[in-house]
Amino acid sequence: MNLIVNELSLNYGNYTALSDVQFEINRPRIYGLLGRNGAGKTSLLSILASFRKATSGSVKINGESPFENADIMQQVAFLYNKDYKDESNNLKSILQDTERYRPNFDMEYANYLVNRFKLDQKKPVKKFSKGMQSALNVIIGLAGRAPITIFDEVYLGMDAPSRDIFYQELLEEQQKHPRIFILSTHLVSEMDYLFDEVIMLDEGKIILHEDYDSLMTKGAKITGNVELVDEFVQTKKQIHVEQLGSTKAVTIYGELTKIDKTTARELGLEIGPITLHELFVHLTKEED
Amino acid sequence: MKKSTIYLKVTGDMFMVQSLWILGFLGVMIVVHIFRIITAMFGDYGVDSYFDSVFIAANIAMFVIGILCIYFLPHFVGNGVTRKDYFRGAMLAAIGLSIALPIITMVVSTLGQFIINQIDQITYNNPDINSAVQEIDTNGNIIGNIISSTVQSIIIPPYVNPTSNWILAIAITSINTFIYYLIGWMISSGFYRLGTIPGLGFIIIGMITLIAKDSLLRITLNLPLAEQLTFLDFLPRSIAASTILLMVIMVIGVIRLLTKQVTVKL
Repeated sequence: MNLIVNELSLNYGNYTALSDVQFEINRPRIYGLLGRNGAGKTSLLSILASFRKATSGSVKINGESPFENADIMQQVAFLYNKDYKDESNNLKSILQDTERYRPNFDMEYANYLVNRFKLDQKKPVKKFSKGMQSALNVIIGLAGRAPITIFDEVYLGMDAPSRDIFYQELLEEQQKHPRIFILSTHLVSEMDYLFDEVIMLDEGKIILHEDYDSLMTKGAKITGNVELVDEFVQTKKQIHVEQLGSTKAVTIYGELTKIDKTTARELGLEIGPITLHELFVHLTKEED
Repeated sequence: MKKSTIYLKVTGDMFMVQSLWILGFLGVMIVVHIFRIITAMFGDYGVDSYFDSVFIAANIAMFVIGILCIYFLPHFVGNGVTRKDYFRGAMLAAIGLSIALPIITMVVSTLGQFIINQIDQITYNNPDINSAVQEIDTNGNIIGNIISSTVQSIIIPPYVNPTSNWILAIAITSINTFIYYLIGWMISSGFYRLGTIPGLGFIIIGMITLIAKDSLLRITLNLPLAEQLTFLDFLPRSIAASTILLMVIMVIGVIRLLTKQVTVKL
């Protein structure tokens, strides 16, 4: 599967939800879509899933526009924080219904997940707690085996052990049945180990699309004497500064060369790693 | 899964769910009907046939089911079905439902009448549903005219007595209920796509369509027209019938336009 998003924009009246979004996804990996509230994550994902049309620009999945394309729409599953308050059916009939329309749906695996999440098969889904309804969405997404599976903050309301089951199953599924998973989240520190690639969205624009591992080598925290740190970081992209007395810590974004590392060592500066969470917070924080 | 068969799956699923609703409705009507028969046995009055009792209520039931039809759209799109397949599937299901409803009603009604005929103290009312439209008092007031024709078109659609021509009676009931379903579907699609204020506009369009449909159907069937609409009497029956067909096609077109690219709400 291959997904190309080109100059995509979405306006709601005068409000711009997405502006000139461009990225390409070619490999069956787990993609983390990070963004603050209102950054445009759900808008973007609902366009990919043909839930809505963009104002301008294009989405191509395997070279074709997915909107109203029966072949493509069947291969894209979009699971979101769905409200089941009017759903009188029980879990079994919902899964059977999904099986009818999703060609790769694996009922055996779905039942295994139902047991893992300890969901009641016969209870009407509207009587499920929020966390249980979220678990149902996870089951539909994982067992549906759609080549492009999108989870939009699907974990909402799930307790920590259930979220852990979700993460384990996700990784296992990705090994057994590789496909494109797009996970949108702001539980960054909890989910970062899942991501192969990270796409960051801020105020409707893509601010970063990187391989997770190379992204992690790009950020660093330089700590040491104020003057020395200032001297070292002046040519670097600084995304965060902390100071306590004469000690300063500057978070920078950009790869450090061997020379940089040697210089830092000679100056007695400490180079520490930063987490995806820190990177996310600093890159998307509002300007003062 | 072949894409050409997806809409037939939609038809099957929607028909199954909606016919359960319709059977529930018909079941309630049977209870009401039995209750009326029992009270008729103790009083000195006749009882309508089951077909006649269902005839009017069925339109409202189909209207409500038509309104609910739009809420299948998010479900199907969420399962990777195109809006087009949903539209075709739902349309076929609606046609199926409109045909099945009067047939089931007719069967139950005939069975009921057979049973009742064994109890000789029950007499059947001779239905005079059609003449009721002429008895609505309007006082020449324009607003009154509009309200009365709206009310009567919702309550009293053109009626064919099943004992005189059962095939025509079924056909007319099918057409009536189908159009009510379409109007319900159109109104809810209008609300879903465009929001509350424009949605209200679709209620008005729906009402006008129903009044026009009723009057044209009366002309087609040579039935008496409502007093304030007698000026339409000059229309030949063939034109009246083809105008109904045209209206149905237009309503179907409007529903498709409203749902063709609609945003699915999360």
